[in-house]
Amino acid sequence: MPGPTKHMDVLAAADDLRRRTLVDMAQPLERLIYLASTRDYNTGMYYHQGLALRFSEEAACEALADCHREAFEELVAASLEELVYDLEAYLKSTRVAAGDFIVAWKGLEPYRVAVPVGIDSLSSELVFSNLKVALAILEQRLMARPKPGASLRPLPVQ
Amino acid sequence: MIALVLYLALGVGLLVVLWALARRKSAPVEGCGRQFVEARQALRTLQLGLLPENLIERIFDQEDYRYVTATSPGEISELFLQERSRISLMWVRRVRSEIRNLMHFHLAYSRLHAKLSLLTEIRLALDFALLLMACRALRILLYLRGPYGARSMVRVLTATAERVCAASEKSLAFLNPPALESFRRDSAGHGAAI
Repeated sequence: MPGPTKHMDVLAAADDLRRRTLVDMAQPLERLIYLASTRDYNTGMYYHQGLALRFSEEAACEALADCHREAFEELVAASLEELVYDLEAYLKSTRVAAGDFIVAWKGLEPYRVAVPVGIDSLSSELVFSNLKVALAILEQRLMARPKPGASLRPLPVQ
Repeated sequence: MIALVLYLALGVGLLVVLWALARRKSAPVEGCGRQFVEARQALRTLQLGLLPENLIERIFDQEDYRYVTATSPGEISELFLQERSRISLMWVRRVRSEIRNLMHFHLAYSRLHAKLSLLTEIRLALDFALLLMACRALRILLYLRGPYGARSMVRVLTATAERVCAASEKSLAFLNPPALESFRRDSAGHGAAI
């Protein structure tokens, strides 16, 4: 019976992914952005070479999709306070100047393309809306205590 | 003369009722599979996408608002309220739309397939009416008072919607995978395939 075996492979691949790769990403936002980046925009399939070598391409794809959904659901359930904390931690992890980050995220809204397939539009709208407010809070905090490198200059291309 | 007119009117009224009932009975059974799938989809959307307790709690709980007002200036609080009002109105609109889909399914097809008692049907009709009214009232309240001005109405609406979902679940139970599996097993012996 290929069904249960395949399911076990996916579970094992997801477990492996959590233990080896996602363990270093404490915040769900960071995991969401990372997992969305493993998805091909044209096919909607997820790719992870190491995971595909250890398991199979299909199992790796499903495991990545499962973890992606999991990260998104964590964001839906997060309070605004947690989201602001997440966003700040993610900002620090990117090592980009805070001002540039805020301007890019406000202008491009990159989180809109990071939604997993099959998520209800209301949940995604709630997350987008909370991120918009969280960005405004973070921006206001950064303006209150400006740091070197926080340029807040406009986007080069709009 | 007046009595004759009254009896005639009563007779015509009864004929109209009979005609309406006969029309409902003859709803096309063939090709109603799509309606079943749509009803199943509406039910899934309600149960998994719109009515989960944690999602409703997230939208209507005041914790986020308290956090914003305590830590941020007025314009951010205003932005937050605008955003949360938009989301709460979107939620009511979506719930109403899915409830209407389920109601149309019950009116047209459910009675042909599900063995619902008269009492259950009456209760269901009342719940649908209550839900549609609650959605309308909630929209007005959300417009007037903002996202945190109608928590008791939200509770009434979700409780009633859950009741309707439970009744619809029974009507659509035969579309669940285990039921389909047993149907497939039964049909396989007779050479039929799905």
